[in-house]
Amino acid sequence: MSSNKHAVDGQKVRKVFRISSLALSIVFWLLLFLMPSVSSAAIDTIAVDVGISVFKTMPIGVVPFTEPKNSIEWIEEKPHQILTRDAELSGRFEVVPSEKFNLALFSKKKAKHYITGKVTPTDGGKLRLECFLYVSQTKDILLGEAYTITQQDLRKAMHQFFDQVIYRLWAERGVASTKLAYVSKIDGIKQVVVSDYDGFHRSQITRDTVISMMPVWMKDNKGLVYVNFKTNRPKLYSRMFGGTEKVLFPQLDQTYSPAVNPVTGELLFSNTVDGKTDLYIGSPKTGKARKFAYLKSNQTSPAWSPFASEVLFTSDRGGGPQIFIMGKDGSDMRRVTFMGRYNERASWSPSGDRIAYTSMDNGKMNIYTCALDGSDIVQLTNNAGNNEHPTWSPDGKLIAFSSNRSGSYQIYIMRMDGSNVTRITNSGENTSPTWSFFYEDSNKQEGAK
Amino acid sequence: MNKIKLALISGAACVAMVACSKPQPPQTDPAAAPAASATAQQPAGTETAPEAVENAAPVDQDSLAAEQARLEAEKIAADKARLESERARLEQLINQIMSEDVYFDFDRSELTEKAKELLAQVAELLLRETRFTITIEGHTDARGTEDYNFTLGAKRAMKVKEFLNAYGVEGKRMESVSYGKEAPKVEGASEEAYSQNRRANFRVNIKD
Repeated sequence: MSSNKHAVDGQKVRKVFRISSLALSIVFWLLLFLMPSVSSAAIDTIAVDVGISVFKTMPIGVVPFTEPKNSIEWIEEKPHQILTRDAELSGRFEVVPSEKFNLALFSKKKAKHYITGKVTPTDGGKLRLECFLYVSQTKDILLGEAYTITQQDLRKAMHQFFDQVIYRLWAERGVASTKLAYVSKIDGIKQVVVSDYDGFHRSQITRDTVISMMPVWMKDNKGLVYVNFKTNRPKLYSRMFGGTEKVLFPQLDQTYSPAVNPVTGELLFSNTVDGKTDLYIGSPKTGKARKFAYLKSNQTSPAWSPFASEVLFTSDRGGGPQIFIMGKDGSDMRRVTFMGRYNERASWSPSGDRIAYTSMDNGKMNIYTCALDGSDIVQLTNNAGNNEHPTWSPDGKLIAFSSNRSGSYQIYIMRMDGSNVTRITNSGENTSPTWSFFYEDSNKQEGAK
Repeated sequence: MNKIKLALISGAACVAMVACSKPQPPQTDPAAAPAASATAQQPAGTETAPEAVENAAPVDQDSLAAEQARLEAEKIAADKARLESERARLEQLINQIMSEDVYFDFDRSELTEKAKELLAQVAELLLRETRFTITIEGHTDARGTEDYNFTLGAKRAMKVKEFLNAYGVEGKRMESVSYGKEAPKVEGASEEAYSQNRRANFRVNIKD
């Protein structure tokens, strides 16, 4: 019966098409209602905003690596455990774990692919890892990589392999080899630390008797810029990895809120003189800085758009903090947030279409995203302590943030729709994460140069 | 030998410091302080004397010069100690005045009436004690972002500076700095703690 109607409607369309486009659109909508199965895809792409997961996750089988019996003493996690964690954190996959290859299980769970490998100890005390991505049904090898490494480098190798898997299956770069910088309270003093994106392999960057905070990554991940209080006022410093600390813009008074231009490496930041806070732009290389925009209000928390054509910032011109956008030349300023009285610290998604920010309501901080015109607001965290300082993963799939939902402040990762919240730090107090850029060398297949 | 001397000098300085900081009433007039420290130096001086004489016989002039230098150093140390204790006293006095009431509302930088009363007392003190300069530190409570709280703390410190300036304290004697939410007076997440932390406090410095 429905197919009959179908045919009739189809005729109608052809007829009306010649008559008027208005009639056409009416019939089109009629068609939509009559053919839900055909039209659903179109509707889905429009309605992505309502807190339903926007992620299409791909089931993937993960099978433990084969290894000679009792020959390896694992000091941390085993290879498949690291890959499982990468897959779960990535926001792209749904892991189908299995002790061995199991086509029935993989088929049932729609895992078209699976990853596994083989470990062999070498004579030099190292491990040789052969890692494979297979097609479940045919057992065809889609990707094979071999690494000969010490156990200390196991996680690094597995992250690299996993990013290759993502590239093979998604034709996109993954973030398993990226890092986070954040602030960790060590012996009661806030210090800047860096860890792998999954919280492992933490290393301390500052070792000071006064607090350090607000770390951000320099261009190409060569070092960090952060704030330190050793001169009894907030001041920006930079430190190349493996290098020494350098004070930035000593000619200015109180400098903080750094944001690195992803194209030029310049710094946009706040400078406070006698109670008035303005945005400044400066070069860490030459040490020169100038005022970025001449405005009556106070400005802080700048953030660059992905290609550095525009900036987000917070202004107190309405009394409390609200988020604004302006061009990189200070032109075309417009307000983004209108809901609530406290919207702060916006950051631009790598795809450029949304911003993440922190909003305070009833004294509680929560993370939101919205479109660039302030519409389509989505609350990502709710009813779980304070949730602050969102930072996008370079592939735009994830957001790291700090929350005191467990009692103390710790770092968490969630998908950019608020789902799949995973804690990645466990002890002490950890805040203010910022995600690194992609590491150029770990993605050879991009072949940029 | 030299080490012993040094120890004794610093010992004397310590005695001097204690002597002039401890027993005096809060409203010291500056003249009383040198007298107090001078008497404090006396016993320390006589203690060192015998030792110095014992070893000093062959190199008389050298030891004389050393003795003079020592006395000079003692005097400078005592002077410094006296000024330092004055500074500490003033700083404590000012912060004590200000700690009676916490004077900013949430996300506000306007001075309350109570705050103005207290700041007037601070201004009077500063107008009297012209050798001292101050650093005004603006603070916020733990709520909100680090970034915005720096700007808020700066606004608060500035409001205080403007008030003192209007009262007649020279602008160049005052410096303002924001600590945002990084230096709370009271830890905790209660309104009680918050209201204690929304504050400005003072560091008193000696003008060179």
